[in-house]
Amino acid sequence: MRYRTGAIAKRLLFIPVAVFIVITLAFGLVNLTPGDPALVIAGDLAADEQVAEIRAELGTDKPVPQRYAAYVRELFTERSLGTSFFTKRPIWDEITQRFPDTLELVVLGLLGAVLYGSLLGTLSSYFRRRWPDTLSRTSVTITQSIPDFFMGLLLIYVIFYIIGWAPAPVGRIGLLDRPPDRVTGAVILDTLIARDWGLLKTAFHHAMLPVVTLALFYSSHFAKTTRAVLSRALNSDQVEFARACGLSELRVVGYAFREARTPVVTYIGILFAALFGGAAIVETVFAWGGLGQWAIDAMLKLDVPAIQGFILVVGLLTLLVYLLLDLIVVALDPRVSYE
Amino acid sequence: MSKARLALAKALPKRAEMPAEGGRAGRALRALARGALAHKGLTIGFVVILLILLAGFFAPLPHDPIQPNPESTLQSPDGEFWFGTDRFGFDVFSRVFASARLDLPIALAGTLLSIAVGIPLGLAASNKSRWSERIMRGLDMFQSFPLLVLAFAIVALTGNTLRNIIFAIALVNVPRFIRLVRSEALVLRESRFIEAATAIGASRTRVMLRHVMPNTMGIVLAQASLAAAHAIIVIAGLSFLGIGITPPDASWGVMIRVGSQNIATGQWWVSFFPGAMVFVTIVAFNMVADGVTRVIGRAED
Repeated sequence: MRYRTGAIAKRLLFIPVAVFIVITLAFGLVNLTPGDPALVIAGDLAADEQVAEIRAELGTDKPVPQRYAAYVRELFTERSLGTSFFTKRPIWDEITQRFPDTLELVVLGLLGAVLYGSLLGTLSSYFRRRWPDTLSRTSVTITQSIPDFFMGLLLIYVIFYIIGWAPAPVGRIGLLDRPPDRVTGAVILDTLIARDWGLLKTAFHHAMLPVVTLALFYSSHFAKTTRAVLSRALNSDQVEFARACGLSELRVVGYAFREARTPVVTYIGILFAALFGGAAIVETVFAWGGLGQWAIDAMLKLDVPAIQGFILVVGLLTLLVYLLLDLIVVALDPRVSYE
Repeated sequence: MSKARLALAKALPKRAEMPAEGGRAGRALRALARGALAHKGLTIGFVVILLILLAGFFAPLPHDPIQPNPESTLQSPDGEFWFGTDRFGFDVFSRVFASARLDLPIALAGTLLSIAVGIPLGLAASNKSRWSERIMRGLDMFQSFPLLVLAFAIVALTGNTLRNIIFAIALVNVPRFIRLVRSEALVLRESRFIEAATAIGASRTRVMLRHVMPNTMGIVLAQASLAAAHAIIVIAGLSFLGIGITPPDASWGVMIRVGSQNIATGQWWVSFFPGAMVFVTIVAFNMVADGVTRVIGRAED
């Protein structure tokens, strides 16, 4: 146990270095890539003075080292990510306002993906080379080959337009509904806190299609891992022994599933981190109004400080998630340790 | 048999598992091609991709893909417009095939670039040196970024030229080649034939380039096919968001974007056909990857 805490401490010590690298990358992305954002914002017809003005406002008229120093100073002394070029609001406010929406979508989507994927994988490995296996593998092949945004559109067409089970794909609640009092910022959670059951139903209704889209697309990771790990586990000696003891098949599969715990948790962590930005396209399709959609808007408008702030925040979040993931995996699986 | 010859005979691999020596990647690839013809999925996938590519460049299209017909907008599929038209009056059928001219070459170029960068870095990282540690640490950091979003941001910031899109795709795919080549090389360098090559005095570079690298080609090819499938998704995503290829140029992502505004009102055909084409292309690339994995005997099942 002692050497393990030492390894974790080492990992924690690495965090400042990693944070520094993330900051530098976020800065470098905007400032070291070829091309001049000011030129793109101004357009082809702009006069030189206008371009110079935009450059001054973005701060890109100063030399790079000076800009970098100013960026880091502002970040640490004023805890500021700068202000949006277009709305003039602090980037930090823009991000915190939208973050809960994205978090809600990512959590629900991943939950769906884990449940559906593990179910497919388990069926697949239990009925190996029989029709449930073929069915589940075909379904995995199909869902992983349809880009998530196209899957979203297909669902909108079939479930909203033809069957009419889902509401129109705009936003979190109906256009005429009054949003719940903002407590956490996450709509579903806020309606729960407000005990507004009618609105909760509406919110779930609106969340249905985007969540199903994410769940279907990302379930393939879980289906494949569960199948691979369980197939091995179901052939192991301990499973044979459990069967010999006369345990029910359900319980035997349950035991075997423990083997898949670590890889499944690892995938959850990796996808969780990836989806803060990766859900952007699905957010856009369903006008979800979260972090990703905002970032895409910023990219289309070339709101340079916003893009930079987004990359920085998402990078730091990813670092945090990976750190937690490492700790959880160590706690779950005693075989894993750090040298 | 003398002791020395016995040892040598043991050291040499059996005929069947003889690796592609002599350093020509061509020999390995030719062996692969022979096996490929015997594998149905691989052949089908390859032919489908080839057909889509050829159709994009050479098929006679019924309408001009970048010339709208303003008098027939949002028409459902019929005898005149086989896949219907979008709200500008573009012929969906012609555009679906014309899109292959941009999407597929970009995907392939991006994949090739990531291989070209990934193989040397992967080989370098497989050497037990300070550099390998550094490359792998750097890679860890790099991969802890959401690469897809990073690619979007880069294209948005640098402008949506073909070169920048290709560069962004290469960026997204390069880590997988570095890791793959490194892990392959780490296994290969323990083989007897590498030992033999070193024993007869081949330099480190020569061993790497003529003995290790050719033997990673099969698995790299399988991974390349998966990377190309991913590249197709990335290009479609970029263009769907309006960051990548822009109208009137034909691209599957652009077409899905245009149709997305009509799908909630029932005009499914504008988005459906380009989306279906993306699906077919990705499945074809996956089939090739699957087939190559099987032909080189690396499939898990």
